[in-house]
Amino acid sequence: MSDWVSYYRGEGPQEDEEEEQDEERAEAVADYRFLGRDSLVFLVDASKGMFEPDGDGATPFDMAIQCIWSVYTSKIISSDRDLLGVVFYGTEENKNSADFKHVYVLQELDNPGAKRVLELDQYRGDKGQVLFRDTFGHNADYSLGEALWACSNLFSDVRVRLSHKRIMLFTNEDDPHANDSVKAKMARTRAGDLRDTGIILDLMHLKKPGGFDISLFYRDIVNIAEDEDLGIQPEQSEKLEHLMKKVRAKETKKRTLARLNLYLNKDLSLSVGVYNLLHKAYKPYPVKLYRETNELVKIKTRMFNAQTGSLLLPSDTKRAQTYGNRQIVLEKEETEELRRFGSAGLYLIGFKPLSVLKQHHHIRPSQFIYPEESLISGSTTLFNALLMKCLEREMMILCRYTARQNTPPRFVALVPQEEEVDEQKVQIAPPGFHIIFLPYADDKRKVDFTEKLPASREQVDKMKEIVQKLRFKYRIDSFENPVLQQHFRNLEALALGLLEPEQAEDLTMPKVEEMNRRLGNLVEEFKQLVYPPDYNPNGKSVKQNQASDGPAKKRVKVEISKDELRSHVQKGTLGKLTVPVLKDACRLYGLKGGGKKQELMDALTEYFNEH
Amino acid sequence: MNVLALPGSYRSTVAIVLCLDVGFTMSSSAPGEECSLEQAKKIMTKFVQRQVFAESKDEIAVVLFGTDGTRNDLASRDQYQNITVHRSLMLPDFDLLEDIQDVIKPGSEQADFLDAIIVCMDLLQKQTIGKKYEKRHIELFTDLSSPVSEDQLEIIIANLKKTGISLQFFLPFPVDVDDGGGDPSAGVHSHIHRNPFPRKGLTEQQKEGIDVVRKLMHTLDEEGGLEEIYTFRESLERLSMFKKIERRPMAWPCQLTIGSNLSIRIVAYKSVTEEKVKKVWTTVDAKTLRKDDVQKETVYCLNDDVETEVQKDDTIQGFRYGSDIVPFSKEDEEQMKYKTEAKCFSVLGFSRSSQVQHCYMGNQVLKVFAAKDDENAAVAFSALVHALDELKVVAVVRYAYDRRCNPQIGSAFPYIKDAYECLIYVQLPYMEDLRQYIFSSLKNNKKYIPTADQLSAVDSLIDSMNLVYEADDGETFEDLFKPSKIPNPHFQRLYQCLQHKAFHPNEPLPPIEEHILEMLEMPSVVKERCQGPLEKIKALFPLKEVGKKKEKMTAQDIFKDRNIKILVVGSVNPAEDFRILVRQKNADFKDVSQQLINRIDQFLENKGSQYYMKGINCIRVFREEAVKLSKVQCFNDFLQALKSKVEDKALADFWEIMIQGRMQWDTLTDGSGVSLKQTKSLKKSFTLQLPFSH
Repeated sequence: MSDWVSYYRGEGPQEDEEEEQDEERAEAVADYRFLGRDSLVFLVDASKGMFEPDGDGATPFDMAIQCIWSVYTSKIISSDRDLLGVVFYGTEENKNSADFKHVYVLQELDNPGAKRVLELDQYRGDKGQVLFRDTFGHNADYSLGEALWACSNLFSDVRVRLSHKRIMLFTNEDDPHANDSVKAKMARTRAGDLRDTGIILDLMHLKKPGGFDISLFYRDIVNIAEDEDLGIQPEQSEKLEHLMKKVRAKETKKRTLARLNLYLNKDLSLSVGVYNLLHKAYKPYPVKLYRETNELVKIKTRMFNAQTGSLLLPSDTKRAQTYGNRQIVLEKEETEELRRFGSAGLYLIGFKPLSVLKQHHHIRPSQFIYPEESLISGSTTLFNALLMKCLEREMMILCRYTARQNTPPRFVALVPQEEEVDEQKVQIAPPGFHIIFLPYADDKRKVDFTEKLPASREQVDKMKEIVQKLRFKYRIDSFENPVLQQHFRNLEALALGLLEPEQAEDLTMPKVEEMNRRLGNLVEEFKQLVYPPDYNPNGKSVKQNQASDGPAKKRVKVEISKDELRSHVQKGTLGKLTVPVLKDACRLYGLKGGGKKQELMDALTEYFNEH
Repeated sequence: MNVLALPGSYRSTVAIVLCLDVGFTMSSSAPGEECSLEQAKKIMTKFVQRQVFAESKDEIAVVLFGTDGTRNDLASRDQYQNITVHRSLMLPDFDLLEDIQDVIKPGSEQADFLDAIIVCMDLLQKQTIGKKYEKRHIELFTDLSSPVSEDQLEIIIANLKKTGISLQFFLPFPVDVDDGGGDPSAGVHSHIHRNPFPRKGLTEQQKEGIDVVRKLMHTLDEEGGLEEIYTFRESLERLSMFKKIERRPMAWPCQLTIGSNLSIRIVAYKSVTEEKVKKVWTTVDAKTLRKDDVQKETVYCLNDDVETEVQKDDTIQGFRYGSDIVPFSKEDEEQMKYKTEAKCFSVLGFSRSSQVQHCYMGNQVLKVFAAKDDENAAVAFSALVHALDELKVVAVVRYAYDRRCNPQIGSAFPYIKDAYECLIYVQLPYMEDLRQYIFSSLKNNKKYIPTADQLSAVDSLIDSMNLVYEADDGETFEDLFKPSKIPNPHFQRLYQCLQHKAFHPNEPLPPIEEHILEMLEMPSVVKERCQGPLEKIKALFPLKEVGKKKEKMTAQDIFKDRNIKILVVGSVNPAEDFRILVRQKNADFKDVSQQLINRIDQFLENKGSQYYMKGINCIRVFREEAVKLSKVQCFNDFLQALKSKVEDKALADFWEIMIQGRMQWDTLTDGSGVSLKQTKSLKKSFTLQLPFSH
């Protein structure tokens, strides 16, 4: 199994993914089991107004569909256990469990899947709008209250436990029942019912000619989650990217990794919630299917005694490591106990100026903390005071961090972040502290640096011109992971029976032509300043040198006699040889040893014990 | 530099002779003090332990002098007597540690330490023939009490110089304290010797010995020779920590490209990465302690009632695509997957450095330099580093380690030191890695705005706990607490425990060493300074613990606490009460469960979701206990009754909650160690009676 895992998780031979990641993964899974699933219903206004183009941009309806479609595809990648649903109102046709007129449930709450994505895809773009009109029609005689009722029915029809229920309402009509006070009242009542049953109702208001006025009607309808209150109303979304930003920010329920105390000293603490704002998305693990039926098979592992064949319970085993020719045995509990240094929490060590934080002291993605009132009330005010002062004085907090009871402590810097909203009044930076993990002495390696050879003023200036030509604004969401994207497009193609998977655009590739065009003559000018005419930086000549030189040299070194090898095997000192030497030796004797040193050594030992 | 405390050279091996004086003076000591021999053995033990746990390839030999017997290659009638080669040059192991602790005993003779050095040199010469060692080294532990003849001093010095063998002395006392006991703080090593050894106690013989040692070391190296003489005390302190993990950095040569026409030859190394313990735990049989006795077997079975086993060959690989499961063979996947063309370090563009902070991914940092021995590359690289530095921008690059690896996006920023300049590469997140959460505003909520008093209290806390202050010279800064100088306590603790268990396999783990705990605490000066400000914060900020986190209670915990006497199932915590009662001796399950059922009925009468949840919790516990105590029938009867009750009293909403909880119920049962048969019968009873199918 081990190489299986590394195949899927590894970044290659140089990087073994850490166990912590596994722990976090396990937690995420546990979450679903104990807390239930997240659910999200998209409620889309399908009346005529939504289909009226404004200038050259997409229609509000198209924006909404694009946005929902993209949430579906991203959910499949990031959290395919969440439930999604789509409901239209203002249609001529109707379909819902209560037979309300002009309310059409396109998709009930369920996991996103290939068919649903494809169904949504039909209604994208100009053609999609025509199809939609032909299929569902428009009718302005709808009741928003009934639409909300239909949504809440979707939630109660779900059999699994739901932890988080949310409706996103897309519309560009700011006063739908202006002339019908009965319907308006019913909508308000229904919205109130939703609030009482813990269903969040977010308004994704789209562009309306003359501006969308929330105060006319929707102020009483929306129901903002308590923990997402920005104290300001967002602007209407005029562009798809604005809408996407608003939706993205709310599409996943925030989950704490842990709730714990920040101890200022032994008996003074405030409580915080720890969040992962960055979480490496992996290619999912494959599952095993039965060849005949394509049904899932269960995988069970059991341990048994090789001598007697009897089943072994975990308590029938111990744990061991070998050092200095001696096997040292511990109980499994003891291997956990030795990781224990105290209870979970953040323990204050002191404050430091932000300027002493070294950018290159990075060992793990950061986490984020935000105050938590549920353990210690009053935490938020103290937290806010610390945040304000740290921001003002450009200080950070140094802490010792024990994430869980059996996790050894690490030192972390709490770096303050000021809250920030963009022009659309969408939060782009939440208030709180980033937890930056700091390296221990063991985590730093000495490297063999190259002597510097300073460039001249002229050379630096020329390079500055090059740099200036290639400037762009980096955004944290600029790059999609091409490996993941390709994987999921392949799956999509297979699931839908398409002949060819759609090729994902690889945003990580440099746009060479564009770059060359922008740089023009600058590259030649720089090369003339820096490189002699006969120099080839692509290393061909140098490489060839190495090629004729290197392996030859190596081979001399590598040629290790059979007797020497035998003596190494006998003395148990094979480990002193380097991997290339061992590899060559294996090749020489036609042994398959795998790539790891231990495997190579084992193969050789076995060979020499037999020959 | 003390070789003992050296982080260990990773390039090639070092041959070390530990040369220990076991002469009779070594075992005498002042009352209440440890004798010199014991101290020396402690140092040797610590040193060898570090080597063993670091799995160093350095080889170690042991030579004793002052032994009753004689065993060495140079011995002849009256030459080199009472010197014993205890162990030849080889990798250190636990046998050596045991030898040092138990086998090496004080002798009743004395021997000349210069003779011992010659034996060591001879050993090093003979046993290193034909092998490559980076360094050959002798560590001498002695109290200098034995007679010494200087005749051979010149020859020894000449030979040491010629062979490049280095020498270090470890003495119970410092050598640089003047006879009259002058001002010790003026000594070269005063910063190390916090408690200078009382010089008075030295014998004439020892003083003579000191002179010889000084002469020897000074002639060997005029500059630093005397610094190679250490006291036992300082060595012990330095060895109290296990070695930090050392790994040989691998050079990664590549070309940095900007567009298709400009490339610079570079080489990169991993410079910071979260280091893991080198070894993982293997599972061994508890009785035989053999790894091979434990075999693992994986079986595949269908998800049907009888869990039909299928062969591995009859399974294929698939992936989830949302709600769909897509068969996707390994071969097809390999064929269709994203392919990295080749290793690369390609610039995509340049961006303001402020735009990429605090969002690093991955578990490592690379330092990127110009390729070695290529002046053109060095100049071009330097131009880039300085251009980035002056413009305050970073390069955003695509990095692929090789064609088997997935490409990364990362930021490369300039780092300029006196000795070198480089780019530092850290991975940046992909869009898929982001969790965009919204958090309530803190500044727009009046409730959480601190008062001026509160803010000034925080101000003075920051002042009192500032770990960085300007040094006296006004230019540099002193940092009281540098985590990057602290060894990972996890490794220290692991080695401490392994070492303890190696010698005492049946004892429990030792407590964490005091100096490890101390190193994790805030500096004591800060601790004192912050007392006042913390009191003030405590007074000004109302903080109150609300509902403690639910402690996980196991039945064992409950039984341990015999103070609690529960007689009936109460209404506050009926499920827990029930759990305890049914486990009491002579408990009547029927009676106790009737009490619980009465409570459940009460909850249903009240109608309201919090009562429902409480009721459901009771039912859940009831079910668990019924399974554990084989009273399934009792539970099933109750469930039957409940069902009809629900129908009568229009408790549909309650039923709904209960059904929603069903999935969780099953998992709970599966995890409870219930035998399969029991679970199944229970499941059946559930499916029979609960209208799940609708």
